[in-house]
Amino acid sequence: MENLEKEQIVQDLLPQEFGKQGKIWVACLVTLCLIGFAAYCHQLSKGLVVTAMRDYASWGIYISNFVFFVAISLVGSLITAVLRLTDVHWSTPLTRIAEIIAVSAITFASIIIVVDMGRPDRFYNLFLHGRLQSPIVWDVIVITTYFFISLLLLYFPLLPDLKIMLKYKERTSKWMYKLYTFLGSFWKDKPEQFSLSNKAINILSITIIPVAFSIHTVTSWLFATTYRPGWDSTNFGAYFISGAFLVGSGGVLVAMYVFRSHYKLQKYITYDHFDKMGKVVVMLALLYLYFNVNEFLVPAFKMKKPEEEHLKGLFTGEFAPIFWFAITTSMLLPILILIYKKGRRPFPAFIAGILVVIGSWFKRYIIVTPTLLHPFLPMRDVPANYHHYFPTWEEWAICIGSLAGALLVITFFARIFPIIPIHETITETEEHEHDKK
Amino acid sequence: MSTIKNKYIVVVLLSFFSIASFAQDAKNDLMLSMGYYNNNNLTHYLVAHAKTKIDGKFQMVPDITIKFYINNDSAATNLLGTAVTNDKGDAVLMMPPSAKTEWMKSVKHTFAIVSTATKLYDEAKGTVDVSKAKLKVDTTEDKKVIVTLLELKDTAWVPVKGVDLKVAIKRLDGDLNVNETATFTTDSTGSITAEFKRDSLPGDKEGNLTLIAKVEDNDIYGNLTAEKVVKWGSKFQYVSQFDRRTLFARRGHSPWWLELLAYTIVVSVWGVLIYLIGSIRKIKKLGV
Repeated sequence: MENLEKEQIVQDLLPQEFGKQGKIWVACLVTLCLIGFAAYCHQLSKGLVVTAMRDYASWGIYISNFVFFVAISLVGSLITAVLRLTDVHWSTPLTRIAEIIAVSAITFASIIIVVDMGRPDRFYNLFLHGRLQSPIVWDVIVITTYFFISLLLLYFPLLPDLKIMLKYKERTSKWMYKLYTFLGSFWKDKPEQFSLSNKAINILSITIIPVAFSIHTVTSWLFATTYRPGWDSTNFGAYFISGAFLVGSGGVLVAMYVFRSHYKLQKYITYDHFDKMGKVVVMLALLYLYFNVNEFLVPAFKMKKPEEEHLKGLFTGEFAPIFWFAITTSMLLPILILIYKKGRRPFPAFIAGILVVIGSWFKRYIIVTPTLLHPFLPMRDVPANYHHYFPTWEEWAICIGSLAGALLVITFFARIFPIIPIHETITETEEHEHDKK
Repeated sequence: MSTIKNKYIVVVLLSFFSIASFAQDAKNDLMLSMGYYNNNNLTHYLVAHAKTKIDGKFQMVPDITIKFYINNDSAATNLLGTAVTNDKGDAVLMMPPSAKTEWMKSVKHTFAIVSTATKLYDEAKGTVDVSKAKLKVDTTEDKKVIVTLLELKDTAWVPVKGVDLKVAIKRLDGDLNVNETATFTTDSTGSITAEFKRDSLPGDKEGNLTLIAKVEDNDIYGNLTAEKVVKWGSKFQYVSQFDRRTLFARRGHSPWWLELLAYTIVVSVWGVLIYLIGSIRKIKKLGV
């Protein structure tokens, strides 16, 4: 019985070939990526003048997108590390989803930063001549570190699964088999190997938490160390981290639903998972709402003259529709949906997750650009259009292409590797059966 | 028929004149004023100021060409030169060397200015009377500043009583009074005595400060200044901050604490990662 169950788990969780829907999905993503790449080539040949960024709004949706990617990547540390270290076992099927979201997001965060550079061929100067005092250098360091930690955290738990996949040669293509052999043919399920692997996972789980906090705190400091209305805040580190955990968890809710329904994983990603993840999202949304109240209510109460234009622009002015849309979709509506038990069912939770992700993208835009349009010392004699920012088609194409790219990485990962850890699921099932007896 | 034609001509002519008169009404009054300046008894120059009143408010008028004359005579021979007003409505003319002969002829002069008419402004005129005078600055060892105002009467310099003047120290963005008294009035000897109360004020690397005495906007003498350098300041030694380890320094010159902290964190975290890569090697060996 036990063996049958084990076999069933393996069969259910082994990577599956793309069906018709999968192929259409991949084709769409590849098309978006190619359009984005073409737009980038155009930008590269003509320069940043093809964007809407000018002397005022020197950071546009590229940087919003960067902050969004960095934010969503934090979910890896939340699901994998925080829940693992606190001995929460329900999150086991979600760990790999969270980690691959983290890896793909952080990869595209790095790419989008290069896109934002007018002269990407000078990128190496950041390493040759970077000043240690600059938060930009800290960001480069922590992003690289976080990327490697996430990659290792993805790799170590994958080792026992690679052995399982190597057993099922008939389910894999030739190149995939070669890849599995290269990555994990040495895994023999020896207790010493498990001991080393578990120790490594524990060390990584501990290490990733401060690094994850650093990555987003440093990203927030890119703004907070600059003396500008809206950014001149001591609240920024915590504000960014709480927002990052929220968008990451929202992303996991969406991914859970998609993988569950597409790969028929109802037995592994259950109602209970949506219920618990939904509660996590509610808690994080409330936390982020709290930080938002702090971030906006306090300066609005004082309404210092230089801040006034910026805040009124957000509350009732040019940016009010996006501001209130972001607040409503990223926090208020998800709370309203997920606070009820019925709302924590898969489909409503999926809708709430989508709202969180979309709202959070616009929230990053609200953080980045309006501030730049309201400096303490306005420039003189600039053309009138410098006072407004609306992204050009190149910017939209590149940003959408990067988002499609991140989804493509996740999609291909799920095609090549099991999206739910097979070995851990078997072990936990066995332990559960044992406990029952 | 011809009567109707004539009527039309009259109407057109009347309209033209009425438009012309409206256009003339649209011109604003240009107000010109002038000041005479004598800096340190060496440099003489004249400053004309052009302004107008629009909607009840004074506004400076730029781009007005102004001709400067000596002896209140707009004859070409008395022309000192021309200057154009800037954004502040000021036009400055340094006294040319060619005016020396005329200047030496008398102890009193009347300078005249005439603006060139433009589309917006008619010609305007202004004058200023100036009596030749100079300031003398002396100092005592006990840090007292004695300033004397002298006027040229015939061929002799005579003291002037009852004129207000200021005594200050020249600083980068303005003048700093030598003590709490803002203005002094000359006595019968044409002098004032001001006590220097700005001890330990930074001077140059030798402690030099520049004292300045000023008569401002005087109806008879115009604007006069005189300067004297004294070693009453504290010595200021410039120390370059360029190579100091600060948060705003160039690359490779960050503070030690930051370098120590940052490199410790980086080395520790990457040390852990390298150790874990070593674990993969160990796992690999165990599987061979």
